[in-house]
Amino acid sequence: MSVVTKKPGDDTVSAEIGRRTDEWSQCLRAIAKHRDRGAFARFFKQFAPLIKAFALSGSTLSANHADELVQEVMLKVWQKADGFNPDKASASTWVYTIARNCRTDLYRRLQKFDTPLSAEDVSLDQEGEEPAAMLHQRRTRERVRQMMGSLPADQAHILAKVYMEGKSHSEVASELDLPLGTVKSRVRLAIQKLQIHMEEL
Amino acid sequence: MVKFHPDMHMLTEFTAGTLPLAQSACVSIHLTFCSKCRELSEAQTAVAATLFEELEPAPVSDSQLDIVMSRLDETAPLAYPRENRSQTCSTPAILQRLMAGDYSDLSWKKITSNLRISYLSTGDPYYEFALYHIKAGGVIPEHNHRGSEMTLVLEGGFSDSNGTYLAGDFLFREAGDVHAPTALADEDCICLAVLDAPLSFTRLKHKWMNPFLQLRAS
Ligand SMILES: [Zn+2]
Repeated sequence: MSVVTKKPGDDTVSAEIGRRTDEWSQCLRAIAKHRDRGAFARFFKQFAPLIKAFALSGSTLSANHADELVQEVMLKVWQKADGFNPDKASASTWVYTIARNCRTDLYRRLQKFDTPLSAEDVSLDQEGEEPAAMLHQRRTRERVRQMMGSLPADQAHILAKVYMEGKSHSEVASELDLPLGTVKSRVRLAIQKLQIHMEEL
Repeated sequence: MVKFHPDMHMLTEFTAGTLPLAQSACVSIHLTFCSKCRELSEAQTAVAATLFEELEPAPVSDSQLDIVMSRLDETAPLAYPRENRSQTCSTPAILQRLMAGDYSDLSWKKITSNLRISYLSTGDPYYEFALYHIKAGGVIPEHNHRGSEMTLVLEGGFSDSNGTYLAGDFLFREAGDVHAPTALADEDCICLAVLDAPLSFTRLKHKWMNPFLQLRAS
């Protein structure tokens, strides 16, 4: 199964998320401060379908595992909402990192890894105070999205495989029947373009 | 000031969560030393989150919401202390977790008069994850790699024919590279090494050591 990404810019859902970023941040705040179940249900309706799509885009998870992942991620949202810091990340970036970590852990569990380290232990901290680079993140996301829309299709396609399908560069190379060097250079070009763009902001 | 970093591809795979566990633990420790790589990884996370927002939503049935709502009570909220996280202890948190103590509490295996190794268990079956302790001024016999080797300097430093590496510096060597690192003269050096195949010492004189360097992944 491959990732279906919608054309950035011209679709209502992602524009909606952009416009209502603050709504989702406030939702998380209400969950953290007041254990607000109504806010949680709204948050679920918005993000659970994206989490499920993310789970399924990895192609190796069954529908049951995808549902399991949705539950696990949403329970973490309930549990960790107090750690969400809107100065550091948008609500959707925060949820994405939880989903990514849970998916990685699920893969490892399925491969019978017995490890004292969770993906969260190893990943970059999205919480706490540290106001570093993410400060600009919310303001720039519209422009990141525009920039992604302007990437050549082959580069955008590979970024989706790397980040959403969770494939290593060599897995992408063998799947698309491309030399590893070609995959690497497309990733490099895309990231450089996006990075230069982000640094300008 | 950190001078040697993982390349963009390694950082991309780290950020995407696809780097093997032992290697990603090593990259993660590098990030505790390196704000430059941290910022790059954060920028990539923003890119990934944008892709995430643009996924075609997959239908989730209402019964899923009911199941999750019914489980909220069994899930206690985590409280996050709002304090400065810059720790009092200089040992990276991941290593503290794996060592259950400090470097001095580990059991070290003596390889040469200058080199001691302590193997840590990450649970990654494909990679060996070990701390190397090289005495000040000590030389590690020239060796080459049958697989890749990731090295991160934790304390002190060492040099080889390509340069001098200090705390936080990250090196990645492909199979077949030959090198003979020497610890700096004034301080013992502690490094983290992540290997996907055993080292082999090239000089005949040191051949006897190879059995000690069987790959110890766990
Ligand atoms: Zn770095």
